[in-house]
Amino acid sequence: MIIVALLKGVPARTTRVVTVSGVLKREEMDIVMNPHDVKAIEAADYVKRRVGGKVVALTMGPEVKLAPIMNGLYDAQVEGVDEAIVLSDRRMAGADTLATAYTVSLGVKRLLDVNRNAVDEVIRLIEAVAEKKILLERSKELYNSNLIPNRIYSTLPAVKQSTISEYVSGRISKQDTLSRLDKFRESLGNFVIVTGVKSTDGETGSVGPQVAEALSDLYAFLVPHITYVHDFDIEPSSNTVTAERKISRIIQILEVKLPVLLTISPGYRSRVAPAGFKKEVRENNYKGKVRDLIKWDATLIGADSRKIGLPGSPTLVGPGVDIGRPLSQKILGRTFVFKEGVGSLQWEGQTYGPFQPGDRVDGLPDPLQRELTDRGLIQPFGYQDLMRELFGEFNASR
Amino acid sequence: MLQDDGYKGVWVHIQHEEGQLTKPTLEILTAGRKVAEKLNHSLTAVVLGHEVEFLGRKTIEYGADEVIYCDDPKLENYLCLPYTTVLTNLVRERKPYAFLFLADEIGRDLAPRLAYRLKTGLATDNIELEIEDFYHVPTKTVYKNLLIQIRPDFATRVAKIYTPWHRPQIATVRPGNFGPAELDETRRGTFTVVKTNLNQEDFTVMLKDLRHIPTSPVQLDRAQAVVSIGLGILRDGRGNPRSSLEGFRLAQELAQAIQEKFGLKTEIGASRALIYAELKELHGLVTLDRQVGQTGKTVSPEIYFALGISGAVQHRVGMLRSKKIVAVNIDPGAPIFQIAHYPIIGDLYEEVPRLTELIRRF
Ligand SMILES: Cc1cc2nc3c(=O)[nH]c(=O)nc-3n(C[C@H](O)[C@H](O)[C@H](O)COP(=O)(O)OP(=O)(O)OC[C@H]3O[C@@H](n4cnc5c(N)ncnc54)[C@H](O)[C@@H]3O)c2cc1C
Repeated sequence: MIIVALLKGVPARTTRVVTVSGVLKREEMDIVMNPHDVKAIEAADYVKRRVGGKVVALTMGPEVKLAPIMNGLYDAQVEGVDEAIVLSDRRMAGADTLATAYTVSLGVKRLLDVNRNAVDEVIRLIEAVAEKKILLERSKELYNSNLIPNRIYSTLPAVKQSTISEYVSGRISKQDTLSRLDKFRESLGNFVIVTGVKSTDGETGSVGPQVAEALSDLYAFLVPHITYVHDFDIEPSSNTVTAERKISRIIQILEVKLPVLLTISPGYRSRVAPAGFKKEVRENNYKGKVRDLIKWDATLIGADSRKIGLPGSPTLVGPGVDIGRPLSQKILGRTFVFKEGVGSLQWEGQTYGPFQPGDRVDGLPDPLQRELTDRGLIQPFGYQDLMRELFGEFNASR
Repeated sequence: MLQDDGYKGVWVHIQHEEGQLTKPTLEILTAGRKVAEKLNHSLTAVVLGHEVEFLGRKTIEYGADEVIYCDDPKLENYLCLPYTTVLTNLVRERKPYAFLFLADEIGRDLAPRLAYRLKTGLATDNIELEIEDFYHVPTKTVYKNLLIQIRPDFATRVAKIYTPWHRPQIATVRPGNFGPAELDETRRGTFTVVKTNLNQEDFTVMLKDLRHIPTSPVQLDRAQAVVSIGLGILRDGRGNPRSSLEGFRLAQELAQAIQEKFGLKTEIGASRALIYAELKELHGLVTLDRQVGQTGKTVSPEIYFALGISGAVQHRVGMLRSKKIVAVNIDPGAPIFQIAHYPIIGDLYEEVPRLTELIRRF
């Protein structure tokens, strides 16, 4: 089973975020893995232990910045990831969630295509009744590239009967071999994608659901998603995922057939994989840990350049906004306010007031303020003023 | 590229729970009303569900001009795919100018999927919405009356987001920022029942079971007063270390005094930095459900106390709608003072007991 973990690189210190007209300049910042994505890796790890297969980490962004993060993932968690892919291209920069989802979905599709093509190659060799030596050599190459699992070809001593070895030794017919390969090829469509609920920089949580929808665009069937999953299990015999998610005060228990995309909530704790499936899991596993970061650019994944990066983004980020300055601020002990009620005051033909106790003085012309000080009508805003303004209305109502 | 022709009206997605409009839904009606009035468009409440026609009608009394009601037993419980299909069909047929959702477990699930299917923009977690003209510099074009979506961005600032070329402009709105819509039983509006058109495929994800969870005893969003503490409780004004429990107790006493004296429902809140510090003494007292801010709760109580909280933007967006903000901080330059109605420059270890005492004697 192909298990994809979608990861994001986020600025390490959100205090030093570099943006140019609203677009993050990831090249110029220290980047770490989005903390929420740790749960995605945990979940991917669980699926691999339960079903077998390979965990592929996929990310998008500047390769130089992401490579150190991705290279650290092979040894993460119990199993770690087996392959890491970075979608990296200048043209992808400035993408909002829609453009990101489109790009990532093409990355996932290419991943599946590459894996399907590998099986197709084996199928073609068998159909053409290729020499056994050639078949074995090519299978070994594909196996070493992590493209076919132990079930199909294996160098593991524990795996005694791979499809190819049985075919080569004449234990199964060409027909049976092809049908096994076909079945495996089809099973590649039963993938699981996991990702964190959101990123700590964008905080939108939109990319997960949008990748599922984007994949549905690319394929002729609907790829569903479930967000905020805090618990799930997977049943390989029926290719079913059962997941729990919270909505307000309700927990929904949902069931879905693969493929599916799950966003994994920070509260997720991985289950213990039941014992007794070791053999199946091993057969479904791949050689594992191809430690060469795979880089794909926009052309390679077949992206329409109008749909990626800034040009493919329907939303624009504008300037920063100053939020919520209060209309009237009274600093304890510093802001001068009226001690008591004062009627209207005149100054140079203008009328000011009347004033309530606690009203600020600082809007008034200086000479008026001096006069009020001399008459002892104003004082710094004090504790009693504060009490009256905070609680006066509640006291009255009791 | 502009698809503005014929797109008119502001829509809000209505959520309901156990036969009632949820409190945040009343807020989204406020948000929608504001935007609709600025645009001079009508406000449409979109209600999906089963046998909840009366709730649809209720939204008119809360400010909707029109209700689109889709009744189907299969829509009784929220599921993303069927809801997306129904809303996609409605949008394609009726072309709203803007469509608002709540930024909660439903809106954050549904709005992205819908926005992608419609290939339009989505701005999440807005704390404010405005209508303004937007000048796009690269193309020297003015877009009239755009929905200006204001949200915390890149975790360091609050920014405006625009969707100039695509319609509808879709936004999710953070509860706690708009205030509930007011009931006016004399309001009248139109009620349209729409037939749903669901596919088998929409039920790929099946609802197997539901479980109700007991409501958390901490209800920050319903509190009338919130007393929040931050890392400032770790040292007093002279820089001497203090036990965080001592600071917590001071806040608790202040909260109790307010509750007892004035009958205001008062809760303790906290900054994320304090919660994440995972201090042993505060275990079980300063829990995650008390976090105020962008990644915690948004609160808008009558009175908010920020005690030893610097007021990082992520904290401020969670409390700036409070009616009266009192901030106690030793640093006169603390950002919290920018939004406090009542700054108190001083040591919380002195100021808080004094405030508590003053309240008791008030
Ligand atoms: C993606 C992201 C999301 C975030 N979400 C949130 C969120 O939801 N909520 C949130 O709160 N934060 C959030 N943060 C963290 C936020 O950036 C700040 O780090 C945090 O709010 C700071 O907490 P603080 O004010 O308690 O601590 P500090 O910033 O350390 O402030 C302590 C303050 O106490 C004052 N002080 C010290 N001693 C005293 C004393 N004796 N008396 C009075 N004042 C004193 C100091 O002057 C200082 O201003 C988020 C950060 C990121 C990156």
